[in-house]
Amino acid sequence: MPDVIWQQCISRLQDELPSQQFNTWIRPLQSSQDGQQLTLFAPNRFIKDFVSDKFAPRIRELLQQIAPAEVPRLALEIGQGRDLEQARAVQPARSAVDSDNAFVAPAVSGYAVSGGATALRSVAAPRMQAVAPQSPRQEFGLAAPALRGRSAPDDTQQQNLVDTYTFDNFVEGKSNQLALAAARQVAENPGEAYNPLFLYGGVGLGKTHLMHAVGNALKHQNPEAKVVYLHSERFVADMVKALQLNAISDFKRYYRSVDALLIDDIQFFAKKDRSQEEFFHTFNALLEGGQQMILTCDRYPKEIDGLEERLKSRFGWGLTVAVEPPELETRVAILMNKAAQSRIILPPDAAFFIAQRIRSNVRELEGALKRVIASANFTGRPVDVDLVKESLKDLLALQDKQVSLDNIQRTVAEYYKIKVADLMSRRRSRSVARPRQVAMALAKELTNHSLPEIGDSFGGRDHTTVLHACRKIKELRETNSDIREDYKNLLRSLTT
Amino acid sequence: MPARQLALNVRLRDDATFASFLGAAVHEPLLAALQAQCMAEGEPTLYLFGPAGSGKSHLLQAACHLCPGSSSYLPLADLGNLPAAELLGGLEGQRLLCIDDLDRVAGQPEWEEALFHLFNRARENRCRLVFAADSSPRQLPVLLADLRSRLGWGPVFQLPAPDDAGMQAILQFRARCRGLDMPLEVSRFLVSRAPRDMASLMHVLETLDARSLADQRALTVPFVKGVLGL
Repeated sequence: MPDVIWQQCISRLQDELPSQQFNTWIRPLQSSQDGQQLTLFAPNRFIKDFVSDKFAPRIRELLQQIAPAEVPRLALEIGQGRDLEQARAVQPARSAVDSDNAFVAPAVSGYAVSGGATALRSVAAPRMQAVAPQSPRQEFGLAAPALRGRSAPDDTQQQNLVDTYTFDNFVEGKSNQLALAAARQVAENPGEAYNPLFLYGGVGLGKTHLMHAVGNALKHQNPEAKVVYLHSERFVADMVKALQLNAISDFKRYYRSVDALLIDDIQFFAKKDRSQEEFFHTFNALLEGGQQMILTCDRYPKEIDGLEERLKSRFGWGLTVAVEPPELETRVAILMNKAAQSRIILPPDAAFFIAQRIRSNVRELEGALKRVIASANFTGRPVDVDLVKESLKDLLALQDKQVSLDNIQRTVAEYYKIKVADLMSRRRSRSVARPRQVAMALAKELTNHSLPEIGDSFGGRDHTTVLHACRKIKELRETNSDIREDYKNLLRSLTT
Repeated sequence: MPARQLALNVRLRDDATFASFLGAAVHEPLLAALQAQCMAEGEPTLYLFGPAGSGKSHLLQAACHLCPGSSSYLPLADLGNLPAAELLGGLEGQRLLCIDDLDRVAGQPEWEEALFHLFNRARENRCRLVFAADSSPRQLPVLLADLRSRLGWGPVFQLPAPDDAGMQAILQFRARCRGLDMPLEVSRFLVSRAPRDMASLMHVLETLDARSLADQRALTVPFVKGVLGL
């Protein structure tokens, strides 16, 4: 019964610790008990050190109380426990809906196990990486399994391509025509047509989709092709790990053995000199070998600050093409396409309504559609303009304007042409007292402050004074048209 | 003076779970979406926003509660001064990450970039994300456009702050969760006289719970006045 002790321990900690601390530091820990040793796995060094510092003494005490006969030894490691591994291993295949985020392994996990150009020896899932790391060497998740010499059960899955990003479901419009045509060319003649293909443009416009579409097309033509997609951060992280592990030659060999290398968001190479250097050499090697490269960036290469000139100029050797924000018709088409993928009937007027209001990028369109689908699924109502309006109220509405006491006092004083100081003063003449009461009533209605807090802000008055003011103004709004009008005007100017 | 009974740790645990969240009709699609977050039908990303006291932190922790041993709750109001990249490294190995108080690190390049990379790693690793902030992804002052567009990639839900009646209902409900009976007039008194943010009210409830147990007194307005010195 490996985990019973830890479960009891957790239950005690849950009672003792504020729930926030428990959820932040204890919740992510995984356990594994081996004989007399209880090992807790933390997701990273920072959390491990924090737990070791702040909670380990108490955990040891609890272990002593829970299992006094045979107190387990407590060890803290970085990585994941066996349970999660097993849970992950038996997880059902991903559904079509979430397949876009279901990559299997880091691109580089197999680089230390060298292979021919078509024999990617990637290693099982990344979650296998750090099982009970024993030495610093193995803490470097990406490289560790490779160093342990595991081979991949299924190479074809290991290259991080999202299979739902294809040419078929890429919605063409004026804004992306050129990029799409170039991408198709590359897919037909990899390494020849345009090398590198450099796609740039704002966020969420489909650069990554196009890049994967080329990769998927290449895999379709040649299932043995080694097409590797990765985010620039991973290239940097892999390089750093390779340096730490003294495995830089494996790193080079891996990256130079690919048939196509797709690197996303290369602007994050900026100011990382060593990575740029390494990438420069990889780039040259791939180009010479006629292997295809596709790069994306949020801006034109020349405009990337902190990037070496020689890289900038090389990026321009192939074809550099911009992806622009989609125009209205394209946005509507994208929505219809995504709705069809989710098997939702989206009437054109509802799609038009969303597309008119969300212009900036496709991610936001997708988010909006998902929100609408969530409402539709929940209420069982068909998607129509009304449902769209209702569900996107959250997203589109300007945030409830936060009205402050200051703001109310200033606005009221201005409206009645008196000074803010008058509102705070002890004066009780009608010309000051009435506006003060109006301001108090507004404060009660528009802010979240308590009666005593409102009283305080009006020159330290009692909460009963505020209560009286609220009642008085309520009564006057029913009987006195001037006050009714004043209140309405003030309410409007404070809330719009 | 009679000896006060020592309050032992026998009160009911009042954790932030879905069972202890008093939801209104407006919350229902969100609650359904959050509860699905740990399962296969969950969204890669959810985003909730609303003012303080609207229940964001409660719900994020409740979601973690459904994913024991494989989830993290990250309140950036408390963690925002820690080194971002180190703290967030490797978290994509969890099944669920709930990142609270995003507004507290918006505009800080180091945090924004670390969150952006975490976002990408999380998607690659099928790790679900839930974000919470005080404003919508459009209005959050995030400088890194790559991060901002990703925040709005999934469904976005707004949580309204409870009004006075809502706060009273929440107080009574949370008291009941602790096995404590709070009459309406006590909840009304607390909402009008105690600090009005939800965190403080919960703290007041904690104090009252402890004192009511120790003094063996029911919650009445005079008792509450005495305990809180109002």
